[in-house]
Amino acid sequence: MTVVGTTPPPRLPVRDKAAGRHRAGGEVSPMLTRLAAERATGVLERERGTLYLTEGRVAHAESPLAPGLDVLLLTHGTLDAGAWREAVEQADEEHGAARLLLGAGRIGQGALEVCHLGALYDAAYFALAPSSTPGRFRYGTGHPFGALRPVAVDALERETLRRRALLHRLWPDPLPDTAPLLRAEPVAAPGLTARQRAVLARVDGVRTASDIARALGRHAFATLVDVRRLAAAGLLTAQFPPPVPQPPPGLTLPRVNDPDITLLKRLRDALEAL
Amino acid sequence: MANTETALKEALASIEGATGVALVDYTSGMALGTMGGGKSFDLNVAAAGNTDVVRAKMRTMEHLGLKAQIEDILITLSDQYHLIRLISGRGGNGLFLYLVLDAKRANLAMARHQLKKIEEDLEV
Repeated sequence: MTVVGTTPPPRLPVRDKAAGRHRAGGEVSPMLTRLAAERATGVLERERGTLYLTEGRVAHAESPLAPGLDVLLLTHGTLDAGAWREAVEQADEEHGAARLLLGAGRIGQGALEVCHLGALYDAAYFALAPSSTPGRFRYGTGHPFGALRPVAVDALERETLRRRALLHRLWPDPLPDTAPLLRAEPVAAPGLTARQRAVLARVDGVRTASDIARALGRHAFATLVDVRRLAAAGLLTAQFPPPVPQPPPGLTLPRVNDPDITLLKRLRDALEAL
Repeated sequence: MANTETALKEALASIEGATGVALVDYTSGMALGTMGGGKSFDLNVAAAGNTDVVRAKMRTMEHLGLKAQIEDILITLSDQYHLIRLISGRGGNGLFLYLVLDAKRANLAMARHQLKKIEEDLEV
């Protein structure tokens, strides 16, 4: 018997998971780390949100992608709109809106702290998302809401990375986080929780996850968790971004909103996860 | 009326056998505040993990068509008790208080009662 020597087949291309993990473990924002070290006070503006620093700690965060504290408090009737407006209008540097609300007995300290902290981490998740433009920092005063319970920068960065990893584990495609969402017909739909059903009921091909969070008065990140779980269950898909405008004449690109392609992507991700 | 830090401190100081306590947002799995635990017991990891416990129980109840609310969940280990008390947050999120007890020193009935009182003080 003769042994025929053959060249081994080339290795199949796989995603470099180790490199990805290394990147994710790095600093979220070197600028923020530096500002924390010098105990800076002021406003850090990033592509997807704003962080308000007080002596190097994050006192407040805002992002157009996350519902503000007012939305969270007013939607559930925790505060009435008049009381909120009054506090915001009267707030000055000495007495932030938070202190005015607490002083007037509109809301308990525990409740306000927990709501504010939840909104802060929620907005910061988006503000600290990888961005294509550098952040800008303006030294100055804090946010008119007033510092309630400022958060250390390293705790905020740790939590942001945990959140990113959690979403990736649930469903590795980030497209549903930002794109308009569409309902899909699954082969075998799993049982849903009341919270997930409320999210799914608002999926209409136009709203994004952030729009749904605002409509429900919920944290945007919690809505992303529900959306990625629903995507993993095959109950919704993201509307693919529209094809590049002005395709060359004579050549029309196919619209790739095909359930088959979605299925193939899920299959690929499942195989890679083995 | 208490802020979160004093409420957690009180839980640790007043509940016999308590070794760690956390206030957790189970819509995100994040601990909003922790007290105790020490180096050998990372309460942040416990917070994220027990979020899955709460979620699994809620889903099962939905499947069974049970409409009642979960008051608390008790997990007994050979040397510890873990007590989870659910709270509905005012900002549209769900919260729970997570209490770790030393099984040798704890009075379970008393601990449940005290945890309920701390929840009321916290007014979240």
